[in-house]
Amino acid sequence: MAGGNSDIEFIKKGKRLDGRKPDELREVRIEAGVLNRADGSCYLEWGNNKVYAGVFGPIECHPRHKQQQDRAIVQARYTMAPFSVNDRKRPGYDRRSSEISYITSQALERVVMVELFPRAAIRVDMQVVEAHAGTRCAALTAASVALADAGIPMRDIIPSCAAGKVSDTVVLDLNKEEDNYGQADLPLAIVPSTGEVVLLQLDGHLTPDEFEQAFDLAYKGCMDLYDIQRAALANRYGGSA
Amino acid sequence: MTKSSSKSARGRSVLLPGDKLADDLKAGSGTFRRDGEAHAAVLGFPNDSSGYVNVHPVAGRYSPRVGDKVIAVCVETGPSLWRMNIGAFQNSMLHHSETDWKVDFGDTASFIGIGDAVLAEVYMVDGSGSHQVTLKKDDCRKLYAGTIVYIPPPRVSRVIGKQGSMIKLLRERTNCRIQVGQNGLVWVDGEPDQIARAQKAIETISREATSSGLTEKIEKLLE
Repeated sequence: MAGGNSDIEFIKKGKRLDGRKPDELREVRIEAGVLNRADGSCYLEWGNNKVYAGVFGPIECHPRHKQQQDRAIVQARYTMAPFSVNDRKRPGYDRRSSEISYITSQALERVVMVELFPRAAIRVDMQVVEAHAGTRCAALTAASVALADAGIPMRDIIPSCAAGKVSDTVVLDLNKEEDNYGQADLPLAIVPSTGEVVLLQLDGHLTPDEFEQAFDLAYKGCMDLYDIQRAALANRYGGSA
Repeated sequence: MTKSSSKSARGRSVLLPGDKLADDLKAGSGTFRRDGEAHAAVLGFPNDSSGYVNVHPVAGRYSPRVGDKVIAVCVETGPSLWRMNIGAFQNSMLHHSETDWKVDFGDTASFIGIGDAVLAEVYMVDGSGSHQVTLKKDDCRKLYAGTIVYIPPPRVSRVIGKQGSMIKLLRERTNCRIQVGQNGLVWVDGEPDQIARAQKAIETISREATSSGLTEKIEKLLE
């Protein structure tokens, strides 16, 4: 968890432990339309993170008491595979995955045109196959590509990226070591066309100045990811974004 | 506004949700307005017609329109109606008065059971997305035997082809009876080996819907 004190030297000669500069993203690869059974899907590799997202819908909302009379609901579900982490994870839903599922649904409902589908549900399933810090951002980034791939009407595509603080330096896109032993972690998701913030969490401590710096860095990271998301969708249909 | 999303899109390049559309046209289907400007709402290709710019989606579920012929599958029977799955985000209703049968109260299941398919027409869609189908239109009937193949609804037009050229080809070469529902369900009936050939051809059309020279490819496949 971020926020602890550690004597690890995370930055040496301006480079991080994995050789990145403080404002550099890990390598990201996105592929849309990878699953045949889902209406829309996406596979995302982000550093050592590997995430699949599949979308079904709009479909009838079950259980019926969850239906909204004037709009659809986005039922996102984030799960981690037992083999996605070092110590085998007990399979299934837990407190952490229900929290991430909830914030993902909230973020996606801001861009999906839910008012077009009264009483319906749009199911978004995200499976983390390999985890290496930043999986909530990776899952949300993959989920919005899968939604667009499913032909669901949306106002924009959501990119999500974290910034944080290690060795008293604000850095972009924390890796596993930086996340576990660093000082702060700030996941952010935005709607690029309007600049709206649809996800913002903070784990650890940041001064107001550091917060501003981390926010700007994460925002820039989101915009870089947005271009990668667009290129992935355009590539599938032989165009360029 | 980003560099990539601020460019005006026209022509045949693929549009992504949020892309700005041409200024001089009104916003049509598959679009939305923000700050007085039209933007694409779905992943698809633009198409201008009579002053409107529409975005035709490349994927997505069926959205019912009055007059569409659809293949509907029964999922629930009530005392005087059937609930039919037509692939839309809500099930459709088929009331007994919309059939030519004399159905006694509570006797619906002896006419259409769960899992039975019909060729029906959408005759009512309301603002809340509810819709009803009818069997009291030309060609509408219960479908006996045969197989149902699913294709994504945006690809239905490729299975039918220009002025029905593709469907005509399929019918001639396989000697099957084929009904294409606008909802992406295709009913095929004939000799078992011919059904398999037709199914393979339909799946090929669906998979390669965006490629050119499709008719020649299917002709070759069905030789």
